[in-house]
Amino acid sequence: MARITAGVACSHIPALGAAIDNGKTHEDYWKPAFAGFDWTRAWEAAQKPDVIVLVYNDHASAFDMNIIPTFAIGCADEYAIADEGWGPRPVPAVKGHADLAWHLAQCLILDEFDMTIFNQMEVDHGLTVPLSMMFGQPKAWPCKVVPLSVNVVTYPPPTANRCWLLGEAIARAVESFPEDLNVQIWGTGGMSHQLQGPRAGLINTPWDTAFLDDLTANPERLRHIQHIELLRETGSEGIELVMWMIMRGALGPSIKELHRHYHVPASNTALGHIVLEKIA
Amino acid sequence: MTVNTVDIHSYLAEFDDIPGTRVYTAKRARQGYHLNQFAMSLMKAENRARFKANERAYLDEWPMTEAQRQAVLDRNYNALLDEGGNIYFMAKIFFTDEISYLRAVGTMTGMSEADYQAMMLAGGRSPEGVRSIKGKY
Repeated sequence: MARITAGVACSHIPALGAAIDNGKTHEDYWKPAFAGFDWTRAWEAAQKPDVIVLVYNDHASAFDMNIIPTFAIGCADEYAIADEGWGPRPVPAVKGHADLAWHLAQCLILDEFDMTIFNQMEVDHGLTVPLSMMFGQPKAWPCKVVPLSVNVVTYPPPTANRCWLLGEAIARAVESFPEDLNVQIWGTGGMSHQLQGPRAGLINTPWDTAFLDDLTANPERLRHIQHIELLRETGSEGIELVMWMIMRGALGPSIKELHRHYHVPASNTALGHIVLEKIA
Repeated sequence: MTVNTVDIHSYLAEFDDIPGTRVYTAKRARQGYHLNQFAMSLMKAENRARFKANERAYLDEWPMTEAQRQAVLDRNYNALLDEGGNIYFMAKIFFTDEISYLRAVGTMTGMSEADYQAMMLAGGRSPEGVRSIKGKY
């Protein structure tokens, strides 16, 4: 049977992707941001996940203001890389796992999560930057990906608790897939950052640190955080942290923190990264 | 069964209490629909070229308000937020101008580019005093 073995969370700052693509990761500005991923790259190489359920948000790349799905799951065999205005990132196309994705979509809908299903879709930095951070610059990505996009642009986004419950439903659905697969779930985006208005540049390291701590120490607190708290404390784009709750909800009660990295600044943003192992 | 007890009116009203922040609500999404769809059109290289060749003429093709068009011409991003622009759509404009998020975002703070980038290097803007207008905390 398929099983979720671990959860990974990671900011998906576009400038990280640009630093990799343009060979700037050894510059003084970027070095400390990337150093915290050396451990994870070695760990991922040993773990060899078959599939990643990758929770991210589209940044007005595939979805414009015409269609705004709260939760959408990609059920295709392959996803092309979006041109976000600079040309597509020079990274391999993302291979899907259509069998698992359709299985998840069906299970989630019967479990009362009304998913949107997409087939043809270009994926943007929200999805490709975490892949680059964890796997570097391979010719082909070492595993398949089930993209799961969340609306965190137009209000209201889903609540943290709803995201947690979706995570729990994903875990149930993965466990009923008959093929023997090592599945990881990734939550991306965050941590504190605000990209708009006179309050832009907001960073809240104490709040971010408590959030990272409570992924293991007190996840019940995190699942009940309200949007207004995220907006006030972590900036308008810190709302992306609800996506980490899908990852955390999918891991269940018994987990162990394996690795953590936090660095300010990466462009306008507090870079946060954590690796959580599910204890069977 | 749990019952959803969120009152949409108080949920939305709280957003107006955050200093220097325009939360992208349904109201703003409706107000800015054509502005944001115009910005989305700049994802295509041929549209970027047409826009750059004659910005005014390109903007006139969209059913936007005059205030929205002028704010685009002025690259006044705070005015664009007030007109219903969303930052990820506005990003298409500053990518067309070939400037980074870091530079474009800094223009909204009233700080010089150097001061904004120095603030970020020093750990970013503290949330102290800018969480709530009414609560002053």
